[in-house]
Amino acid sequence: MTDTTRTADTAGRRPGSGHPHGAVSGLDAAGGLGVVELTWRPYRTRGRQLVDHYEVHELSAAGGTLLARTLFPHHTHLVGPELATRRYTVVAVLDSGARTRPARPVAAVNERSVAAGRAVAQVGAFDHRGLEFALSPNLSARYPAAFPQDVDFRHGTSDAARDWCYLHPGPADSWAGRREHTFTLRFDLPAAPERDLGFALWLIDAHATAAGTAELAVGGRAVTTLEFRGGATRGSLEGDATRPGSVLKPSYYELPLAADLFAAGENVLTLRKTSGSWIAYDALGVFAPE
Amino acid sequence: MTSPPHTPRRRSFLQAAGVGVGALLAGAGLAGRAEAVGGAPRLRDEPFRLGVASGEPAADGAVLWTRLAPDPLADDGHGGMPRAGYDVGWQVAEDERFRRVVRSGAALALPELGHSVHPQVRGLRPGRQYFYRFRARGHTSPVGRFRTAPAARSARGSFTFATASCQAWYHGHFTAYRDMLDKDPDVVFFLGDYVYEYGITAANMRRNAPLPGARHETETSTLADYRLRYALFKSDPDLQAVHAAAPWVLTPDDHEVQNDYSDEYSYYGLSEADFLLRRAVAYRAYYENCPLPALALAHGPDARLHRRLRYGGLATLHVLDARQYRDPKPADAAEQRAPGRTMLGREQERWLYHGLRTAGARWNLLLQQVGLVRVTENRVDQWDGYPAARQRLLDVLGEPGVAPSVVFTGDCHRSIAGDLLADFADPGSPVVGSEFLGTSIASDGDGAPTDTYTKDWMQHPWMTFYDGRRGYVLGHADADAVTAEYRAVPYVQADNRAAGFALDRFRVAHGRPGMEKVS
Repeated sequence: MTDTTRTADTAGRRPGSGHPHGAVSGLDAAGGLGVVELTWRPYRTRGRQLVDHYEVHELSAAGGTLLARTLFPHHTHLVGPELATRRYTVVAVLDSGARTRPARPVAAVNERSVAAGRAVAQVGAFDHRGLEFALSPNLSARYPAAFPQDVDFRHGTSDAARDWCYLHPGPADSWAGRREHTFTLRFDLPAAPERDLGFALWLIDAHATAAGTAELAVGGRAVTTLEFRGGATRGSLEGDATRPGSVLKPSYYELPLAADLFAAGENVLTLRKTSGSWIAYDALGVFAPE
Repeated sequence: MTSPPHTPRRRSFLQAAGVGVGALLAGAGLAGRAEAVGGAPRLRDEPFRLGVASGEPAADGAVLWTRLAPDPLADDGHGGMPRAGYDVGWQVAEDERFRRVVRSGAALALPELGHSVHPQVRGLRPGRQYFYRFRARGHTSPVGRFRTAPAARSARGSFTFATASCQAWYHGHFTAYRDMLDKDPDVVFFLGDYVYEYGITAANMRRNAPLPGARHETETSTLADYRLRYALFKSDPDLQAVHAAAPWVLTPDDHEVQNDYSDEYSYYGLSEADFLLRRAVAYRAYYENCPLPALALAHGPDARLHRRLRYGGLATLHVLDARQYRDPKPADAAEQRAPGRTMLGREQERWLYHGLRTAGARWNLLLQQVGLVRVTENRVDQWDGYPAARQRLLDVLGEPGVAPSVVFTGDCHRSIAGDLLADFADPGSPVVGSEFLGTSIASDGDGAPTDTYTKDWMQHPWMTFYDGRRGYVLGHADADAVTAEYRAVPYVQADNRAAGFALDRFRVAHGRPGMEKVS
C-alpha cells in the first residue's frame, strides 16, 4: 500500500521564495557616552515565519560593516571616547535565510567623553575591553595573594598587566575577605592645573544585583560616591564586551575634578569600594581638556 | 486538545509576528498539499549527515524525521542547503532490505524549517517492527527502525524502554548511548536538556575533542545559533545510532532555551519581550531537530509540548511540560508555599489530572523534567519550589481508581530513586507512586558514585538509591510490574569506548505501592 499524499513541513510560505519583501522600519539611533543606542520596530513576519536575527550595519563611504547579529529589535553599539557621527542600517534575516531590504539609514552622534582629552594619568584603554589588566579575564580568586595590600599604581612606571587588577572587589565578596578595597592611582604634575580636570571611569561589567558604591577621593579629600549600575555578573569571567554575543553590560562614569584638588608633584587618586560586590574595569583616568 | 490560553503579552507577540488567529486554527498548512518545487539546485554532497529518527510511537504508526544538511555546521545554521524546497521521499517497510514496502510518501523540506521533515506515518500494524528510509535528489538515507505500540486494548505483553536526559556535548562523549543501543529498547524517553545554550570554550570543554570553534563560543540566542547547536550535538555518532534504532518520545527542559527559565521569565537580565523572542526561536529549533508531532511546532513563543501516548492497555504515557507555564522562582518562603502556585499551569494540571483518572491502562507513566520527590526547600527549580502544586498531584495519584503511577525524571545529573508519599510531612503516610530520576548522558563529565549532593537526597526515609555517574535508565513494563535498571559508564570525557554496566535494579509491583530492590 502506498500513501502518495505529499505533506509539506512548511512555515506557511511558498518554498524557496526569494526576497521576502519589505524592510525593517522605525530605525532610530541615539548617541550616549561610549554608546549609540539603536532601536527599531520588530519586523512583521507572515504566517509562522520567524525572524532568525537582525544584522546591524554601520555605513561609511567605503560601504557597510556588519556590527552585530541580534535576535532583539535593539542593539547597543559600543564606541570610543571621541565625538563621531555614524550612520546605521538594519536588515532582518528570516528563518528561511531570506533577507529584507535594508532599513532607511539613520545617523547619530555619540557624546564626547572627557577621555577624548589629554591624558594626565590613565590606566587601560577606553575600548570596552579589560583584557590588558592583571589577572584578566577570570583569575579573580588569586586577588588576595597577588594584591594583599590592594592596588597601588604609579602612572608612567607601573604596568597595567601586572599592577592593576581587572576586578575591583567589594565588601560583599567573600573571596576577597569581605572588606573594603582601595585602588590607588599616583601621578605627578609639573604644576598645579589652572583649569578643572576631568575623571573618566569606564567599566565592562559589574555584579548584576550588588554593584554597590565606591568613594572617589583625590589627595585624601572625598570628591563623590559613585553608585554603580548593575551589570551581568559575567565580567569576573570574561573581558571583552565587544565580542559578538557578549552579555557584558558596560557602564560609564565621568565628572569634573576641581583644579584646587591638585598640586604640583605627586597626586593621589583613590577609589574605595564601600558597598556591594565587584566592578570590572575597562579604563580610568584623569584628563585635561584640549 | 486545546491550545494554551494566550495572555495579552503573548497576543502582542503573535500580532507582531504576523501570526493570525486563522493561521493558528488552521495549523498554517502543516498538513496541506505541497506546492510544486522545481528549480532547486542538485545536492552534490550527502545530505543526511544528521541522521534519521522516529518518534511518537502509536499502535498504527509513528513520526519520521530527518533534516537535510550536507554541511551541518555551516555558519548560517542552514546546514549547507540552498535556499530552496526539496522533495524528500520516505518509505516504510517490514524488512530491512525494503522488499515489503507498506507505506511511502513524500514530504517537502523547506528552508523555513531548516529543511527538516516530520512525516506522520499511519496505517501500520500494532506491536510490529518497521524499517524506514528517506531519499532526496539521488541520495538515500541510512535505514532507521521503530516498533509500533501494542494494540489499543491489549493489556498483555510487555515493552522495554530507556530514559535519557542532559547531554552536554562539551562535557563528554555520549557513551551511554552505545550501551543503550546494545540493550535495544522498544522506545526511548528523552526527558530534557537535549542541547545546552552556553558558549563552548576551553573553560567548560571536558570532552576530549577539538573545540568546535568561534561560532560556538557564545551563548545561543538567534535561530541560527540554536540550529547550529543542535547540529553540533547531533554530530555524536552514538546519539544518531540510538535515534535510528528506536522511536523517541521527547520533552524539553530549560537548556533547550535558557538555564532555569520560568514561562516568560529569564533569570539572566532579558526583558520579558526579548525572552519571548528567544523562546520562539529556541522552540522552533527544537521542533526542527527532533521527531516531534506537528502539534509541537510553536506558534510564536508557545508550543504544545504536553501530550499523551498509549502503549496498548498496558501503559499511558503522560508527557509533561514543566517549564512553559510554571510560576517564577519564589521570592521568599511565603511565596514558595502559596497554595495557588503552579508548576504545570492550570490548564495542563487539569489535563493531567483528568488523564490520570480516566486513562484506563494498567500503569500511568509520567515523563517529566525536574525532581518531584521532596529533597530540600532550597531546590526551588524542582517541585520543591512548588510544594502546593506537588501536593495537588500527589493527591490525585493517591485517589482510588487511579492506576499505579511511576514517574521518570531528568535534570539532576544523578541516578536517584525514591517513593512518592501521600504527604511528605508525614513519613508514615502511604506511598502513592515511585520516581526514578535518570542521570545525565554527559552533563557534569565523568562523575563519581557519591558527591556533595548525596547527603541532601539520601537524608530521607523515602529515598532508595543514589549514584553520581553518567548513564541512563533501562526499563521494562508488563501487566505485573514496572522495573527500572540504572546503568552507568565509568567515564565519558576521554573517549566513547567505556563499557556500560548495571548499578542497581528496582521493581514496582502492580497493586503493591513502592519500589523494591531486585536482587
